[in-house]
Amino acid sequence: MEDLKTTGLLLIGILVAFTLVMTMVAYTVLAERRILGFIQGRLGPNRVGPGGFLQPLADLLKFIFKEDIVPDKSTRFVYFLAPVIATTAALMTIVVYPFGPDIQLPVLGTVRLVVARFDVALLYVLGVTSVGVYGIALAGWSSNNKYSLMGGLRSSAQMISYELALGLGLIGVILQSGTLDLYSIVEQQAGYLGISGWNVIWVQPLGFVIYLIAAIAETNRVPFDLPEAETELVAGFHTEYSAMKFALFFLAEYVNMFTVSMLATTLFLGGWNGPFVHTVPWLGVFYFLGKVILFLFFYIWLRGTLPRFRFDQLMSFGWQYLVPAAIINIVLTATLQWLGTFDYVGRLLKTATGWGG
Amino acid sequence: MLALLFILFAGMAIGCAISMVAQRNPLYGAISLIGVFISLACLYVTLAAPFIAAVQVIVYAGAIMVLVVFVIMLLNVEEEERQPMRLRSLVPIALGLAAILFAESIFIIFFVQSSPSTPTRNVSDIGLTSSIGAGLFTRYLLPFEITSLLLLMAIVGAMTLARRGGLLPSGAGIVPGDQVFSKELLERRDIGDLSVVSTHSTEEAERLLGVRKNRQASNDGN
Repeated sequence: MEDLKTTGLLLIGILVAFTLVMTMVAYTVLAERRILGFIQGRLGPNRVGPGGFLQPLADLLKFIFKEDIVPDKSTRFVYFLAPVIATTAALMTIVVYPFGPDIQLPVLGTVRLVVARFDVALLYVLGVTSVGVYGIALAGWSSNNKYSLMGGLRSSAQMISYELALGLGLIGVILQSGTLDLYSIVEQQAGYLGISGWNVIWVQPLGFVIYLIAAIAETNRVPFDLPEAETELVAGFHTEYSAMKFALFFLAEYVNMFTVSMLATTLFLGGWNGPFVHTVPWLGVFYFLGKVILFLFFYIWLRGTLPRFRFDQLMSFGWQYLVPAAIINIVLTATLQWLGTFDYVGRLLKTATGWGG
Repeated sequence: MLALLFILFAGMAIGCAISMVAQRNPLYGAISLIGVFISLACLYVTLAAPFIAAVQVIVYAGAIMVLVVFVIMLLNVEEEERQPMRLRSLVPIALGLAAILFAESIFIIFFVQSSPSTPTRNVSDIGLTSSIGAGLFTRYLLPFEITSLLLLMAIVGAMTLARRGGLLPSGAGIVPGDQVFSKELLERRDIGDLSVVSTHSTEEAERLLGVRKNRQASNDGN
């Protein structure tokens, strides 16, 4: 009976997280189109519903009713498998992010706003993200189209290269908090008013920048969107995909954007921490989502303002600057940790602000 | 519940393994192998070893197999043709080995069933990251360091091989992502005075290396 209740709660948790993320992803697409419109001096989609509010729904219907074209010479099974892998890998990481602190609900009692809390959550995220490469690589290969193949190859090379910088950039945070459990990492960042403890502020500024750049490359967004560079490769790896299969790739890209934003928030911006969270736990959810939205806006802003890298620039930037910078960050963090600097500054902050928790 | 998960993932692992051997298309084989790795990772999770599971996915499924798939895509290998069986003499040996493996499994199952079960202390700690880290840096430090050294040697060896047998002077550096030269292009002339090969276009590379413009001819040849 107890087992059944836990399983039921888990399923409800997954459903809620899934719905929340999907809704926000749908409106991220709309927000992106509107904001890009404003950046480029036009309006963007504003006809469906008030202010274009129903546009995602209309887009979904359009995707469902479009003709599904399968290239004649494609490798069928892999062609169908690729979008499934991409979407599944993107969605699988949602369960480990803590959306907020423990809250009190009328019927269920104390509810922890994280679906699964386990020891190696961060490694799980990295592992699942690394599996997502197959979606793109296989899509490029199975379409039997030279543009797709080039896009797939580029993306594999790019994602392998930047995964390294991404992982190394995160090691600083792990060294400093001494755990891979995302929930504990968030709890450690409480600090004065829920702000002074954020990792980004005085512990990991370099790690944060490295993660931000590598994450943009991992999600294939501008300025690192070479796998789908329109001017050279038509649409890259998803040139031959249409209707719902294309929508799945589209979805995977935006869910990936969302999850890397959630990871950045969790590891560097204190997760759900913020002013007055301890007295009103509900605020935590809004702080968390607000920070995530900040990142998403940053992504859209970049897309509206930056040109695309050239492929050799992308590779040499990743290997010659990002990876060494990440290694320097690790050595620096380890040294400071060993010297006890973090503890010292933490005590100093405590005495200066009079905060005792 | 755990038994159900075990049957699911063990079945997946065995199915993927059989498919990996049986597939004629190398890419399908690679995908099946990824399936095996992921099912094994799930089995590790049910055995309370989350760290090994995560590392299995990151290292094998996420890094090594990506490279394998990458190579298969680059080579664009055709589907293998079914060939008449060679090495017919090995069939009895294979049957014998299979029989030994089967007997071994039965033996192990028999002994596991008949042995008295003594639960290990602190079972919940063993698979966790902190205990593995502590073990690696205290009790098993020497094997850990030897393994690291081996990996480092492998990296250095790979780099030496990639430099094509000392053809480039020791001061030369090839920048990843830059133009990659074919071996013939490099061997055609002496490049003793070259200190750094770092270019962004074939034309520039040819100018730097002083190589004749022979690409057009070879393209026409194809």
